[in-house]
Amino acid sequence: MNFIQKAAVAVLLAVTVAASPAFANDAAEQFVQKVLDEAQPYLELEDEQAQLDGIATLVDKYVDMRHIGYFVLGKSARQITSEQKEEYFPLFEDYARSIYQEALTRYSGERLAVTGSVDRSEKNIFVQSKVANAKPGDEYADTLIEWWVHVNNDGEMRIVDAGADGIFLSIEQQETFTSIIADNGGPPAGIDALIENIREKVDD
Amino acid sequence: MSMRLTVFAALFFFLAGGAAHAQLSDAGDPEEFAEELKRGEADTTEGKEIDPWEGFNRKMFAFHNVFDENLLVPLAKVYRATTHKKQRKGIRNFLDNLKTPVILANDLLQGEFDRAGDTLGRFAINTTVGFGGMGDPAERIGIAQHSEDFGQTLAVWGLDTGPYLFLPFFGPSTLRDGFGAAVDTGLDPSFYYRSDAMATAKYVRAGATALAIREPLIEPLDDIKENSLDYYASFRSFYLQSRKREIQNGRTNYDELPDIGDFEEFDEE
Repeated sequence: MNFIQKAAVAVLLAVTVAASPAFANDAAEQFVQKVLDEAQPYLELEDEQAQLDGIATLVDKYVDMRHIGYFVLGKSARQITSEQKEEYFPLFEDYARSIYQEALTRYSGERLAVTGSVDRSEKNIFVQSKVANAKPGDEYADTLIEWWVHVNNDGEMRIVDAGADGIFLSIEQQETFTSIIADNGGPPAGIDALIENIREKVDD
Repeated sequence: MSMRLTVFAALFFFLAGGAAHAQLSDAGDPEEFAEELKRGEADTTEGKEIDPWEGFNRKMFAFHNVFDENLLVPLAKVYRATTHKKQRKGIRNFLDNLKTPVILANDLLQGEFDRAGDTLGRFAINTTVGFGGMGDPAERIGIAQHSEDFGQTLAVWGLDTGPYLFLPFFGPSTLRDGFGAAVDTGLDPSFYYRSDAMATAKYVRAGATALAIREPLIEPLDDIKENSLDYYASFRSFYLQSRKREIQNGRTNYDELPDIGDFEEFDEE
């Protein structure tokens, strides 16, 4: 290519980039579709406990609980002590896993399919999905189910949040957790109180 | 009037979130998307900043929940038990159709003339072919329902959300949207008709709206209450997230979501 051609390509690229702030991300879409395909047989199981167990396996495999666990602490993520971490993370994982289980079993019998994605940055991609086999009048027929995919430093994709119609779980958890920490005097005491709160919930 | 206003507004608002219809059209004008997304930008205040009246709000929330658990939910269960899903859909359609003047006025105030046309078209079609608004044939020919209210109009005009506000019977709101709800009451022509029959009709409408909004939320709100470490904070978050999306006409502004960021470094200390 001569200089003019290169310049033309550069300008074209620049215009394209400027015109579309968000791109679809094929790799992330394939990743989520794979997770959904794996979830499919579990969602078809008749036995509720088997369904929950199946989903738990997938959550442990594909959801980055460590990441979410930090995120939901808000500013306190920088202040949590190593002793607190040892208590907090296993409890948080149990708690968050149960939330995901419950959220997903709502779609039991349905087939979820990826419909598109939005790149917020190289490392944060929102993959959109919908119920593919919805019958007219189906409760979730129009629900937009989104998966926040984060690419970690090793280039691995993990799910860090799930949302329905623009309402995201981790964001809600962050507001709840930071509220509990603040109401109990902030870190470190507030974090201890939070840990106790989660323990009570998990033990229920 | 005040009781009628509160009950009506409560219903109107209580589930602005749950009632909001997700409409994510792929087709459309990118500039319009950008414009719609910008509306929510003023509403970025998070956590404490959005809820300076938390102490008051928590008390009101606790009070409201006594009413909710002991009256609203049992009635909503009766409503569910005595009606068929299709009938409830018809009732929701009918109540939505009654909101036409308010939606239309706000479409126009926002300069959304296409959407105003949709609102008028839906009213004409659904009131006639749709048996007085019970059916929604307009939806089937591609004119989807959308909601507007004066709170959203104020957002479009650039007014910030203001503090989160929870009032008993009235439900979750913000200072801006609560004021908007009062204005909407005045935008409704029924506000200006005074007769015994109209008064009864308004009570019936308010009651029906309350049940129509609360009934589909019985399980979702139970789940939240059951799972949340702090029902108040979770409820506020769900409400504010869904309200923001409603103001952005059913779109999500991804850039505005908090940064989940990289936490890998945290474990390397």
